[in-house]
Amino acid sequence: MNEPLISIKNLYFSYDHVPVLENVSFNVAEKEFLAVIGPNGGGKSTLVKLILGLLRPDAGSILVFGKPPSRVSHRFGYVPQDVAINRSFPISVMDVVLLGRLRHGGKKRVTGSDRKAALDSLDLMGMQGYEDRRIDELSGGQRERVFIARALTTDPDILILDEPTAGVDTAGKTELYSLLRDLNRTKTIIVVSHDLMVMSSYVTSVACVNQQVYYHDQGEVTGDMIDMGYQCPVELIAHGHPHRVLKVHGDES
Amino acid sequence: MIEALQFEFMRNALVAGLFASLICGVIGTFVVVNRLVFLAGGIAHSAYGGIGLALFLGIPYIIGTLAFSLGAALIMTAVTLKAAHRSDTFIGVLWAVGMAVGVILTDLTPGYNVDLMSYLFGSILAVPSAEIWWMTALGAAVLILTLVYYRDLIAISYDPEFASLRGVPVGPLYFLFMALVAVSIVFIIRVVGLILVIALLSIPPYIAEKYARSLGTMMALAVFFSMIFNVAGLWAAYVFDLSSGPCIILAAAAGFFISLAADLMLLRHRKNAFLKG
Repeated sequence: MNEPLISIKNLYFSYDHVPVLENVSFNVAEKEFLAVIGPNGGGKSTLVKLILGLLRPDAGSILVFGKPPSRVSHRFGYVPQDVAINRSFPISVMDVVLLGRLRHGGKKRVTGSDRKAALDSLDLMGMQGYEDRRIDELSGGQRERVFIARALTTDPDILILDEPTAGVDTAGKTELYSLLRDLNRTKTIIVVSHDLMVMSSYVTSVACVNQQVYYHDQGEVTGDMIDMGYQCPVELIAHGHPHRVLKVHGDES
Repeated sequence: MIEALQFEFMRNALVAGLFASLICGVIGTFVVVNRLVFLAGGIAHSAYGGIGLALFLGIPYIIGTLAFSLGAALIMTAVTLKAAHRSDTFIGVLWAVGMAVGVILTDLTPGYNVDLMSYLFGSILAVPSAEIWWMTALGAAVLILTLVYYRDLIAISYDPEFASLRGVPVGPLYFLFMALVAVSIVFIIRVVGLILVIALLSIPPYIAEKYARSLGTMMALAVFFSMIFNVAGLWAAYVFDLSSGPCIILAAAAGFFISLAADLMLLRHRKNAFLKG
């Protein structure tokens, strides 16, 4: 049995004495594609920020590559929620992607190899030719690709995306997730999302977060969990090849 | 204007104004994109306490204002980092306290000081040569530090969480940045006074932001606009024998309204073109 890439044990976290996460324990293996789902305000983003080391737990432990997350932060590629970023900030697409090469090799100046790495990532995300555009001229889906390109420029082992498809249409979502599937061949991927229907054939595990975390390693969301009031947008996860996550009632609209 | 340059005070004023433009363009750009105009105003007004302290103790005004504006900047930064939702209240309080302390200390100083207006509204025409030199040194230090940490400053302005993942010390850098803002404000107080400092820090970057595709071009444009406003204001002050600080600010305000009008006309033109099809 391989050592897990991310190991979370008895984790507790609260904001101003209001508990957000309680007694969370689960592991993430290498090359896993983990979907983090759950109701808004349930603690999904908080869990992700704890894994990244941006927040510190009140109790319990998180180890990534066997170390505290803040010691290995350079191995994460992070795609934050679009709404968390000042959208009217006057910055070019190139400068955003170059942030991924910040502190790369200890140099302060932007080098030719930094630019090449940035252009390569943009190319990979199908955003070549946009490098001189201002970020606020792009559509939501294009902006999301730029943020993923920035994360890829850091050459991460673990890619963490927080609701990357908010404001992206259905076709764009399908395209985005098939890109993530390609990246999953070499990288561990954690994605916070409500789009279980779209990414159902790609994910290898699901974490259902609502103050507590139910982790399903290719397993099923059982009726018990629904009874416990998890209000996850998914009610059943079915086995099969490819592994699929299904909604019982197709009436989300 | 050319014949005015034979006077040393006019040359000094021009040099100080152009140098202030460099600082306003660079630091002002960060202030505007980080939405820190109110905080910059708070630092500038609390510096008045430093002017009172300097008068009271009989020390150079620069030491008093530096001490007060740096102190205010550090407290405001600490509050902003710890409790962002309360920072506007704290800024308002420090703003008022600084001014009140300044007035009280001036009251306690024997004799009436006629020079106070020059700190409120600037006295660029009275900048002595000796002061030009250390102002230049101070300004150069601000510019060099900003350029050295340029990428880091962009990163913490745009996305502090991502910056912190890349190993950028976000907290300490934020303090450094605020200290740079405080020093810049002390510098600009000499040119346009502490009441008008906010206009010179915010108007040129605001206009520049609309036409810039990146932060770098925004800075360059802001410096350019600021230089035009400074020279135009100084020229008006010289020709019409008016106070230089308010003239510079009105020149900037004119630029502000002209750019707004130009935007509206452009918008209307585009709309008409679109409707005609």
